[in-house]
Amino acid sequence: MELQRALPDYERVGLAVFAISYDPVSALAAFAEKHGITYPLLSDQGSIVIRRLGLLNEQVQEQHAAFGIPYREGANGVAYPGAFILDRDGIVHEKRFLENYRERETGAALLEQAFGSESAAHGPEQRASGPGVAGRAYLDAPAYRLAQRRWLTVELQIGPGLHVFGRPIPGGYVPLELSVAPIEGITVGEVQATAPRPFQIAGLEEQFHVHEGRVVLRLPLTFQRRVEAESLPVRLRYQACSATDCLPPGTLELALPLVAENLVDLDR
Amino acid sequence: MTTPARPPYPPVDVERIGPALGARFPNVVLPDQHGAPVDLHAVRAGRRALVLFYRSAAW
Repeated sequence: MELQRALPDYERVGLAVFAISYDPVSALAAFAEKHGITYPLLSDQGSIVIRRLGLLNEQVQEQHAAFGIPYREGANGVAYPGAFILDRDGIVHEKRFLENYRERETGAALLEQAFGSESAAHGPEQRASGPGVAGRAYLDAPAYRLAQRRWLTVELQIGPGLHVFGRPIPGGYVPLELSVAPIEGITVGEVQATAPRPFQIAGLEEQFHVHEGRVVLRLPLTFQRRVEAESLPVRLRYQACSATDCLPPGTLELALPLVAENLVDLDR
Repeated sequence: MTTPARPPYPPVDVERIGPALGARFPNVVLPDQHGAPVDLHAVRAGRRALVLFYRSAAW
């Protein structure tokens, strides 16, 4: 279901998505209809492909016992849960298999981690938290250069059972909004964010859109010249609600250090 | 936050299971949720892809 919500992001970057399990077609049909799944759910009944690929989980009985899951008849034959990222030639570019049976990765997180949206060499990160959320922000590199685009990334983790409003949204509600303080010499582009999903509130006719789990927002910044400011104030406004009530709107404020690369060249 | 205790069975060496990094993902043809056969590489059609394995849609 989380993968389905991230699907527009996958489609926007031109990725094909497939999911494989040992379920029969009838179970997949029911699941797809119930959750509105549009990407292919492939049926490997009898676990032929799962076995051939070496993905048969032979420890399922022990794992279920260790995690207190009642043993299910027919659980033998399940695959290890995980994912392969393939490049355009179908070569395995990355494998992500989870040792801990309880871990999950959201669709957006898989996308970002697999396709290098988050670089290991990014600038120092700042963290902040508020009602219902925790956030972290960083620039994609520790220093900036003239006329080069830098990306500000803000990752917001929304507490379980909560959602944060996105746009479009009726008036009177506080949607998620990322902004930076205007600094002369920095041109700010448009925010890109993982898409919110449509959401209906019982008793209200208006259409809402909400984010759940992890949201990634990115904002392009172009440094036209060396700036006086030594830090960039970043502001994330939001409101988190559960199914029944709302927490007060919050604002995460972070300040990211601005360091000009190669100061000698900039002074020339 | 405490680290959860290791389970008592040997941990899976994730590097060694399934197709290897750098190898071509094998040809897979399986029926989808509509019962239609899907040839993974053909449907992928030269795009990058995410192939997800999960335990079950039923539990």
